[in-house]
Amino acid sequence: MEEADKSWSEAPVSRRAFVGSAVIGSAIAAAAGVFYPLARYLLPESKSGGGKKETYTVALNEVHVGEARFFTFKRRPALLIRKSDTELVALSAVCTHLGCIVKYHEESKQLLCPCHGAKYDQNGRVLGGPAPKPLTAYNARIEAGTIVVEEA
Amino acid sequence: MDELKLGPITLRNRLVLKGFEILDRRFEIKEILDEEVFTKLAPTHLGIFSCFGGITFFIFLMQIMTGLLLMIYYVPDTQSAHKSVVAITNDIPFGWAVRGLHFWGANLMVLTVMIHMGKIYFGGIYKAPREMNWVTGVALFLLTMGFSFTGYLLPWTQLSYWATVIATEAPGAMPVVGPLTKSLMLGGPDVSQVTLSRFFTLHVMVLPAATFGLLIAHFLQIRRQGISGPM
Repeated sequence: MEEADKSWSEAPVSRRAFVGSAVIGSAIAAAAGVFYPLARYLLPESKSGGGKKETYTVALNEVHVGEARFFTFKRRPALLIRKSDTELVALSAVCTHLGCIVKYHEESKQLLCPCHGAKYDQNGRVLGGPAPKPLTAYNARIEAGTIVVEEA
Repeated sequence: MDELKLGPITLRNRLVLKGFEILDRRFEIKEILDEEVFTKLAPTHLGIFSCFGGITFFIFLMQIMTGLLLMIYYVPDTQSAHKSVVAITNDIPFGWAVRGLHFWGANLMVLTVMIHMGKIYFGGIYKAPREMNWVTGVALFLLTMGFSFTGYLLPWTQLSYWATVIATEAPGAMPVVGPLTKSLMLGGPDVSQVTLSRFFTLHVMVLPAATFGLLIAHFLQIRRQGISGPM
């Protein structure tokens, strides 16, 4: 019995101190769990929309003529179509009907929505189906062998 | 010198005691705590269903806090209401969490109020001398319904628009007072900006103020009369 007591008293941290720090640590973690989201919610956004425009860049030779490339722009799916050597179209890939992701059909050069059959041409104009308005267009330009997509 | 044996926590304990002393010397809080908290022990016959009034109050406090946070970004205008709600949900950091808490809190609060009322009703706890507490309780229940009804319109979606159309048509069908009641609720012949504005005012100012007032009465009554004995 005495030996056991001895080993406890020789422990680097007393049980009381350990439990005390564990309680305080949990309390701090719980408080951080409340105050971190609160601070993020109230502070103005610094990442996106903070004056700086979001851009997407891709090397020109990675996108072949007639091909479409899907990418994430403004946290939503978007697509880039290279119509010819220099002609580029960048569009939001979110269908204006109910928000499904449109697919690009290279042969018909049309964008089709798999959900309710909305049809768009290469420039995002509505060809048929339930879509109420054209796809949101972005600016796409070529800068020294790189494609740069920006908000229109 | 006994304190030293407590080890490293003593300093913190001392600070807490010191803080307590500072308050106690000025406000004599020890007396209040002794009388109102430490000597008022919960009766042993209480079960889980006795907790639902307190749970409802806790959810109500959550609704106040998340509601305040939502109000910072919400715009009560027919052109911007839905847009601002979408922005809160999708763009503002943790906005989805704040809105989710408010949404689920609202639904849960109706449920917990119902359970609380069920306990009071089937336990016969509303009987004398607690009749007045039942009356304030029913008024608080109606206020909860009012919160749900007015809050439902605020996101300005198709669902909320038509729900409001239907829910105002019903009182509009009452004999004699129907048309007046309906136009008083809508502020005009149909659901419009005027309706949104008055529902918003009710939801964030009038109903919370009334709820706080009735809650004070509700709590003072139970404080004075005590929790009812076992069934």
